[in-house]
Formats: sequence, C-alpha cells, structure tokens
Amino acid sequence: MYRRLNRLALACAFVLTLGVMSAFAVTKTVTIRVSGMKCGSCSSSVAKALKATGGVQDAQVNYEKGEAVVTFDDEKVNEAKLREVINGTGFKAEE
Amino acid sequence: MKRAVIFALFAFSSLNALAQEKKNAPPLTLKSLEGRAVRLTEFRGKVVLLNFWATWCPPCRAEMPAFVKYQREYAAQGLQIIGVTYPPQTRAEVRKFAKSIRVNYPIALGARETKALFTADDTLPLTVIIDREGAVAGIIAGILLPEEFATQIKPLLEQRSSKGETRNVQKIK
Repeated sequence: MYRRLNRLALACAFVLTLGVMSAFAVTKTVTIRVSGMKCGSCSSSVAKALKATGGVQDAQVNYEKGEAVVTFDDEKVNEAKLREVINGTGFKAEE
Repeated sequence: MKRAVIFALFAFSSLNALAQEKKNAPPLTLKSLEGRAVRLTEFRGKVVLLNFWATWCPPCRAEMPAFVKYQREYAAQGLQIIGVTYPPQTRAEVRKFAKSIRVNYPIALGARETKALFTADDTLPLTVIIDREGAVAGIIAGILLPEEFATQIKPLLEQRSSKGETRNVQKIK
C-alpha cells in the first residue's frame, strides 16, 4: 500500500514538473527595433496591434527608444509574425 | 424601510439610465476636398465612421485600405465612412494619397478643433462611431482592428433605425 502511494506521488510530481516546465518554456520576450515612430500616439498604435495578436501576452512600445518589447507564447506566435504586425501599422520593424 | 429600498432602487436605475444615455454627435459641417459641404446630419439613418487621419501619420495611412474595403462591403447595410483630415497637410498631399488608394468615401478637411468636438484624446488615427440615430456610439483610438469592427460596428449595422428603414442620402464625394 505504502509503495503504491509512493509511486502515485512520484508520478504526480513528475507530471506537475513537466506541466510547469512547459508553461515556462513557451513564454519568450523579444526586443524589436521599430523605425518611423515620432510620437506617443504612434507607439500606442503599434502596442494596440501587437496586444491584439493571438499569443502576445504583453507589448511595451517606446517611441523615444524606437523599440517594442514583446512577451509572447512562442507556440502560438513567432517573431516573424510580430514583425509583420508592426509593419502592418505603417512603421518598420528593423532586422 | 421597504419604501427606502424601493426609492434607492429607483434612484439607482435612473442614474444608470442617465449614465448609459448616448451623447448626440455635434451638427458638424465640413468642406470636402472638392469644396462641397459635408454635413453630418445628412447621414442620419446610417452608421457613420468619422475617421480622423493625416497624410503624415503612418498608422493612418496603413489602416485606410481597410476602410475602403469596409465601405465597399457594408455600404448596402448603411455604413458611411467619412475621412476627416488633421493638420498640417496640404490639399494636394491629401488628394494624392486618397487617389493612390482609391478612397471610395468622402474626405473632409478638418482641424484640431474638429476632433476636439468629440474627444480630448490626441491619438491618431481616431475613429468616432455614430449610430443611425446620430448619437456617438464609441470612439476607437489607434488603428481600427478587424475585431473592433466586428464587435462594435457590425452590431450597429445589423440594427434598424428606430425611425424605420435607412434613408437614402445624397452622396458627397
């Protein structure tokens, strides 16, 4: 009985560890250089478009620095798609 | 006690109704690129999108092809987009850009004060949604996303005017 319980506890711990690891593994943060932004209004348009993209968890866009810091689930979206979204707002995501 | 509860409920519902009361759009009259008058009241019965934009604003230019598409696809359901320019820019610049993307809705010449009639928000682009009754139904700051069109504008297009069918209005271009 004790052995069975022990095995069950080990199996649960293993599954839980795998779940936690995978949850952390998919979150990624990238900084993308964005050219052409000249005002706060510009950066809010870029941030709005990024945040509306599936898989994006957060997007902080700073026009003075000319960059977008995006946190996303890399199983749902990738950097190339983020660049495409930025370019779709009329600005340019630099390589 | 019972009376107090009833009074409180009545007061709350009245306040709630007041809070939900929509504000009528101002009776705006602007000049189109061709020099004709564009009167907001002439579009009563339609769902109007007043899109504030400028030629020097990259997101404004980026979203306008979508507006051209919406105007084409939803005109029969009573959608009327009106582009309102924001200074500084010249008529020639506006005309050139509008021609390049084949704008199929009126472009009116606006000023900072025009936008200030609706909001103090200085974001560009900015779109004011006006329902069939002429009330401001919403303001969308930044690029109008397809999801926003689906959730905020399509339902208005699906509603009939309380005064009946959509009126035919003079097309100003």
